[in-house]
Amino acid sequence: MLDNIKIFVRESWLLVTAALLCGLLLAATNAALGPRIEMNKTLKLTSLAAGLLPEAKSFAPLPEAIEVKGLDGKPESAVVFKATADDKTVGWAFKAVGSGFADKIDLVVGADASFSKLTGYDVVSSSETPGFGDQIKYAYYRGQFTGVPAEKFTLVGVGAANPADIDSTIVAISGATISSAAVVQAMNHYLPQLKEQLQQKGLIPNGSNP
Amino acid sequence: MAATLDGQTGLYKDAVANGLWREMPVFGMLLGTCPTLAVTAAVKPALTMGLCVIFVLVCSNIMVSLMRKGLRPHVRILLFTLTIAAFVTVADLFLRAYQPAMSEALGPYVPLIIVNCVIIWRAEARASNSGLMLSIVDGLAMGAGFTIALCALAVIREILGTGRLFEIQVMPTAFPTWAAMGMPVGAFLTYGFVLGFINFMKRKRA
Repeated sequence: MLDNIKIFVRESWLLVTAALLCGLLLAATNAALGPRIEMNKTLKLTSLAAGLLPEAKSFAPLPEAIEVKGLDGKPESAVVFKATADDKTVGWAFKAVGSGFADKIDLVVGADASFSKLTGYDVVSSSETPGFGDQIKYAYYRGQFTGVPAEKFTLVGVGAANPADIDSTIVAISGATISSAAVVQAMNHYLPQLKEQLQQKGLIPNGSNP
Repeated sequence: MAATLDGQTGLYKDAVANGLWREMPVFGMLLGTCPTLAVTAAVKPALTMGLCVIFVLVCSNIMVSLMRKGLRPHVRILLFTLTIAAFVTVADLFLRAYQPAMSEALGPYVPLIIVNCVIIWRAEARASNSGLMLSIVDGLAMGAGFTIALCALAVIREILGTGRLFEIQVMPTAFPTWAAMGMPVGAFLTYGFVLGFINFMKRKRA
């Protein structure tokens, strides 16, 4: 037994030491650069949100955290910004995450001041296949979420509905059903939770839940 | 003593000549072709990728050279990969922090430096059996050779594809841009023509 341990230590001490050193290096780098990377993400999110809510002059994160259930069922803090212009709330922007074909898809979604209609969405980051899944960034697909009621969406195949109709039926992208479904999944997962939480906190008027 | 110094100088000169010409990764050994084809549509991403590769090459060569006396054959590749992955992650985090737009433009190709065979080739062929200084010079020379090759292809593709260089208009506005140069077909064509030209020149000199 002791001999085996000696052999193990002799053969692997360098690997274990190198792994520890590399781990320390990565932890230190992450600690040093993490806040800046997060700041960059927030800047990108708010600049994309500005495109969804053009009348907004500033975006402020909510003072108190909003707890929602993540896609994996675990609780997470939602990223929600209040869009204001001249001290008046003109809308809301929030981050939604969907499970895409290649990786998670991060979206920023805009809603009007009463959270009753969506003003659209934009893609913060995605690794979807160029030419197929990344069409979720294109106006053709994104336009289906502009001006629609903030309620549960249904995904249908090409030809099953008219994508120009402003309703809760979303026509999938041909050849990219998983990416299309990921966007709908993100909306359906986060919208009802956020609407309920914002209503409970008195930030938006009470109405029918989606 | 003088002979030893001459020998050492010769080794360094060889390392530089190998990296920049004789064993130039992209044009001499045809290694690292994935980023070569993927990020050379414009000079800025090509240069950024080249600088990242230089950083990872030099750092991994330093680590491997320092560990070379303790290397065991069966954990050798594991150690190289661990070291390379750590420095690639550092480079990736740095880009995401200070060059977020470029990090996004390069997409998965920065993390993919982990599997760039130029780096593991130098760790195995040079750093694992050479001293610290020689390993550093080797990493710098090979990285510089890789960067020069990427930038050379990117200059051709960016000028022909957009009429611009470093996003500055360099061709007359009447110049008809070749859209194909920004696409994968442009990458393969440019790489092929430049390789052919280099081979032609080498044969002419031989």
